[in-house]
Amino acid sequence: MTESKEQLRRLREMLRLRSFEAALLRQPKPGFQLLSRGEEAVAVGICSVMGISDPLLCSGRSIGIALARGVPAGGLLAELVGKDGGPNRGRAGRAHVSMPAVGLWGAHGVVAGNLSVAAGVALAQQQLGTGAVTAIVFGDGACGAGALHETMNVAALWKLPLLLVCDNNGYAVSTAVGDGLAARELTDYAQPFRIPAASVDGTDVDAVVGAMREAVDAIRAGAGPRFLEMRCVRMGPHSTATREARPAAEVERLREFDPLYKYEQGLRAGGVLDDAAWGVIQAEVAAEIAAAEAIVEAAPWPDPEAAVLDV
Amino acid sequence: MSRLFFREAIARAIAEEMARDPTIVLLGQDIAEHGGSYAETRGLFARFGARRVRNTPVAEAVTVGLAAGAAAAGLRPLAFITYIDFLMIGLDPLVNYAAKLKYKSAGQLTAPMVVKATAGAKGQGPTHAQSLDSWLMNVPGLTVLAPSTSGDAYGLLKTALRAPGPVVYIDHKRLFPLGGEVPDAETLIPAGSAAVRREGRHLTLVAHSYMSVVAGEAARLLAKEGIEAELIDLRSLWPVDWATLEASARKTGHALFVEEGQEACGVGSELAFVLGERVPGLRVARLGARRLPVSASPVLEAHALPDAPRIAGAARRLVQAAKAS
Repeated sequence: MTESKEQLRRLREMLRLRSFEAALLRQPKPGFQLLSRGEEAVAVGICSVMGISDPLLCSGRSIGIALARGVPAGGLLAELVGKDGGPNRGRAGRAHVSMPAVGLWGAHGVVAGNLSVAAGVALAQQQLGTGAVTAIVFGDGACGAGALHETMNVAALWKLPLLLVCDNNGYAVSTAVGDGLAARELTDYAQPFRIPAASVDGTDVDAVVGAMREAVDAIRAGAGPRFLEMRCVRMGPHSTATREARPAAEVERLREFDPLYKYEQGLRAGGVLDDAAWGVIQAEVAAEIAAAEAIVEAAPWPDPEAAVLDV
Repeated sequence: MSRLFFREAIARAIAEEMARDPTIVLLGQDIAEHGGSYAETRGLFARFGARRVRNTPVAEAVTVGLAAGAAAAGLRPLAFITYIDFLMIGLDPLVNYAAKLKYKSAGQLTAPMVVKATAGAKGQGPTHAQSLDSWLMNVPGLTVLAPSTSGDAYGLLKTALRAPGPVVYIDHKRLFPLGGEVPDAETLIPAGSAAVRREGRHLTLVAHSYMSVVAGEAARLLAKEGIEAELIDLRSLWPVDWATLEASARKTGHALFVEEGQEACGVGSELAFVLGERVPGLRVARLGARRLPVSASPVLEAHALPDAPRIAGAARRLVQAAKAS
């Protein structure tokens, strides 16, 4: 794929995520969701680099990642509202959605809970000699949890093929990073373990892709774990059930960091995108999302008796 | 049959299974050259090497998490928790991840892992000596095994290392130095299978782990006064062997549940209730630890726990109350 075609694909992916979440909120009962609006460049950038057999794990802010990873939109929408027809038959929801067939090894609803699990997945790849790189995406809130530090210690000690990606949207629900974490920079947390770390503009999908490529290549070459901080913005409240903790003016200012809008404008300025091409992308995405909405509408609710399966 | 120490039976089971299944990996503190806190991994590091017998830092949360993730991704880890009290630190990956994984992924992922954790009071005080068996029975998705003999230690651990999902294998400090018969031929004991250790007609004693040994002493005391106790060693706390419990309870009409864990909300609380529903007219009683922290002093420790005279006393009261009424 030429670079410009690849850039248009990234733009299209970010629009898919944005449109998908809008469709989710239009559902009669959208449920308890943690949205990815403002963080699409992180999800799309990560999934642009990870190979299909590279296991990806994430936090409960999983919707953008799941969609970018390749979970079909209709099935994902069904999963999120608790209908049958999703990859986990409605049992998982956004907090635990998984689809290993497309490389999504699973979200986890406990903050920092997936970190040591991801190290275990990486240990299995190392031990079985698969050559795969395992990545774990976690929020800035997880940096205050012991799990991160225990995981980095073992990952460094055993040179695990593990990429730690901190999706720093600035807030753990209502607590700003600086109010909850003593480190000056989140990358500082990797230093005692001598894990190479970099901080990336997580609202710039090309920057995310570049940093991911470098890290994934190094890990695949056997260099051991890496840590990437993706500085991004959360354009809405923590969840659909959470009051916005920030002043309205501050939230309004975040629009200037909107990764989708910035990328669209940048591609236009670079001559990669014009109105006609943008119109085609928008129409294609709208059609896919409409189809997903039709799928979820037709999807059955789970048979209550199915609750006892797979215990 | 060979006579093996409990710890030797564990080492033999692990060695046989590791030789059979190259995906088995051991994770734990002091399990490599040192040979395990209770000498129960002696020889395994020399035979299977550093890739498969891995010392971990003193960090139970990441140890259990590593095991859970590695299990989901194709290995079969056996994680060692030196004192079951420290499993509290690793409960999140065990309970919130491994035990729910098959269910929440709708069968796409499973966590075939074993956590071997050592329970029991032997002078170590409040946080090195608890019995938390009933906590673990509370978790859907977990199999909980608790052997009391060398033969069961061997046969149940082999079963655990072939199980489709997560297993907690609870052993006990006072069992490691005990000896017992182990079959020379490879033998597996299935989960959900209790053992009748002693037959009797007056009451059923139900115990597991080290309390099976103590309950056996109590049964001998009772026999001297003409009370014949049938002793059932649960071996498997979940799944429960209801058929064996029911058959014995129907025969004796009385069941005393004994455990080293706390009596309130304990193993016996659940089992006695359900068995009472299954066997009309059954008289039940429980005897477990008092609702106290375990003490470092041997005098205080012993005061809080069942022993053979107390078990015999509770059995006597149960049988005699029935006669009086």
